[in-house]
Amino acid sequence: MEFKDYYSALGVEPKAGEDEIRKAYRRLARKYHPDVSQEADAEARMREVNEAWDVLGNKEKRAAYDALAERVKSGAGAASGGPGGFQPPPGWDAGFEFHRGPDGGPADHADFSEFFSSLFGAAERREAARRNFRARGEDHHAAIEVPLEFALSGGEREIQLRAMELDSQGQPEWVTRTLRVNIPRGVRPGQYIRLAGQGLPGHGGEPAGDLYLEVRIAPHPLYRVDGRDLLMTLPVTPSEAALGAEVEVPLPGGGTGAVRVPPNARPGLKLRLKERGLGGHLYLVLELALPPADSDAARAAYEQLAQATAGFDPRRQLQAGARAS
Amino acid sequence: MSPSSSSSGRTTAVTVTHCTVVGASDPLAAAELARACGATLEWVAELAASGILDAPAARPVQEWRFGSTELQRALEARRLQRDFDVNLDAAALILDLQQELRRLRAALALRG
Repeated sequence: MEFKDYYSALGVEPKAGEDEIRKAYRRLARKYHPDVSQEADAEARMREVNEAWDVLGNKEKRAAYDALAERVKSGAGAASGGPGGFQPPPGWDAGFEFHRGPDGGPADHADFSEFFSSLFGAAERREAARRNFRARGEDHHAAIEVPLEFALSGGEREIQLRAMELDSQGQPEWVTRTLRVNIPRGVRPGQYIRLAGQGLPGHGGEPAGDLYLEVRIAPHPLYRVDGRDLLMTLPVTPSEAALGAEVEVPLPGGGTGAVRVPPNARPGLKLRLKERGLGGHLYLVLELALPPADSDAARAAYEQLAQATAGFDPRRQLQAGARAS
Repeated sequence: MSPSSSSSGRTTAVTVTHCTVVGASDPLAAAELARACGATLEWVAELAASGILDAPAARPVQEWRFGSTELQRALEARRLQRDFDVNLDAAALILDLQQELRRLRAALALRG
């Protein structure tokens, strides 16, 4: 386990004031916002930034972290097993108390690093147990990405969740839970699957919280998800589009189907295959693919087409537009 | 099955037979939505008053029901409050813009 430098994660000096740290956090939270960031690792960076803020934005945690960092720097305390071999010394947090802020608890820290959990996980658990002598466990959130085919068929999926829990002696330990979840067929991105009683454990005999899994669907080479519907680009030749044709298309979930392209079909036309989506339909969006004029026969055919359609001017709109301006 | 890290730990395996998709047939009550967001019933009422959540204002909070879209919006609103201290009216606007951005991006992706 690496010792994490939370100050460099936020790009501030260790002597930075509260305001400066808050500003740095907000700037980075904007920078790595999933809707704004162009960077591929935005989600991972955001996790780091959130984790650093959780510690440095809280006076008590920051003081404890600073004291630990000081001990690590002076070489005292931390049982180090070489680079990356950091282990917090026993009782490192003695004398510090961590109070849960209004907006963050163990459930928010589920995807923080092992470093964070080993420092603060146990303390958070104890704090929660003390504060809420009898309280239902917190709800827990995670995301699950499934292939499109899986979303269409539904079925069993294994997910692993890792959390710091207290054993019967009140000592922290890592618990890896493997959940076998029966995913209903037809789940869509943005939907939440609720697993009752699979969240964080309750206190004082109260029930555990629930686990919510946010569904994500892995990008598919052929199909795109649009709400309940699926869309696929269907390339057709000019002659197929003009004359109409029956073409074979791969169907989501396996197999193929025959689709009739109507005569005089235009690019962008959507053909609907009923009930082949995620509770909706499959739409085939027509796209023209031009056969290359790479042989005498093909060139002759194009010339013949040009002669036969001499009255057709694809740029008539342009001329009308130019006159109007 | 193995722990994903070098540190020692316990592993447990659980088969979950019962799970539901949050939606029309298995909606969340207002209290459940609040709990899922680590918030209170009053906060859910504030979200409804600011238009972040679509709820029948004339009915008591206990009768409100929410689907996945509302859960996503509520979680996002909570994140905005926590990260930027935004007030709920600004959060409502940000969420609407975000939704529009995602819709447009999806439409753009469909055009290749």
